[in-house]
Amino acid sequence: MKRFNGTAVSKGFRAVLCGASLLLVIPLLAPLPADAAPPQEAAHKLSASAVQVVRTQSSATLTIPEDFRVATYEHVILELEATKKFQKVYRDGDSRAESVPDLVIVTLVPATFTAGSQKEREVTTVKGATSIKINVRFTKKDGTVLLEQPIEGKVRFYGENLAATKDFAKKVAKLAKDNF
Amino acid sequence: MKHFGTRIKPAFALFGLCLLLLSAPLVLTGQASKAKSADSTVAVPDVQCVIGLEGIKPGIKGTASVYQGALTFVEGKNKVQIKIPEITDIFLGNESRQDISGLGGTAVKSAVPYGGGRILSLFSHEVEVMTVEYTDSNGGFHGAVLVFPAGQATAVKNALVAQGAKVTAHAPEPEAPKEQKP
Repeated sequence: MKRFNGTAVSKGFRAVLCGASLLLVIPLLAPLPADAAPPQEAAHKLSASAVQVVRTQSSATLTIPEDFRVATYEHVILELEATKKFQKVYRDGDSRAESVPDLVIVTLVPATFTAGSQKEREVTTVKGATSIKINVRFTKKDGTVLLEQPIEGKVRFYGENLAATKDFAKKVAKLAKDNF
Repeated sequence: MKHFGTRIKPAFALFGLCLLLLSAPLVLTGQASKAKSADSTVAVPDVQCVIGLEGIKPGIKGTASVYQGALTFVEGKNKVQIKIPEITDIFLGNESRQDISGLGGTAVKSAVPYGGGRILSLFSHEVEVMTVEYTDSNGGFHGAVLVFPAGQATAVKNALVAQGAKVTAHAPEPEAPKEQKP
């Protein structure tokens, strides 16, 4: 039976140590990923001290239940406040917003709406999804469009239909977070 | 005949006068009760605030009432009032909710083997969704979405309208899709 002596163990240990140190050093030598080098990107970020959310518009061609329109508007306000990117989030019609020089106005224009069914979703797991797609537009006071993107809120499996509005608002907040 | 008529007429007049005097308090009481009903209290427990009431966490259940010229939502120590003059519109809609829902309900449904949890999803109940639109003192637009047990929201809306809440004529909303059994 071959016995391990002290030198054999120390050689093996050295090899393992070298391998481990190489693994630690290689990522440090590799170039930084794009998202880890944001100084240039930060320069392109928009800035605003306050934002005003205009209530979700109604459309002649698209009928959206009023609870969905209101819930979308209210959730967007809550989620934008939670980002802490703006000192103040004003509501539609708030007279105090007029005095803010760098105010950004958020407009919500519904594009598509599918009223699903919670029961159908939970029973079939493939049918009954609720979705609401809204064109979100960030504009200056003078109407200059700073950012525009269609965003979709969905409930696919579990949850009430109105949960689609919360999903939508979270995506709007992420868009604001990424660009402001 | 003529003699009989003249004798009866004063008696009838007296009877009529007595009847009028006796009925007067009843009529007045009726009017008072009508005035009271316009200022009546409607309280509905187990109302879910989906969103839109400041200081109330979305999804919390409480009691909604119409009292002293305001729509009040009370949940524990939290109380929110929307004064009737601030209300700009009220919408009603129908929906259905699962009997077994929420995080716990979903966990239970998932735990039933062989997809049996889906059978539990077949049990649901009707609810009424009331959307109240109102403005704050700065003119800011607010919207509160409240979910009432079936048939209760109409009573609250009627009470609000009786006390002077503004309601515009709405185009009929599309009916919620009929849920079919798979």
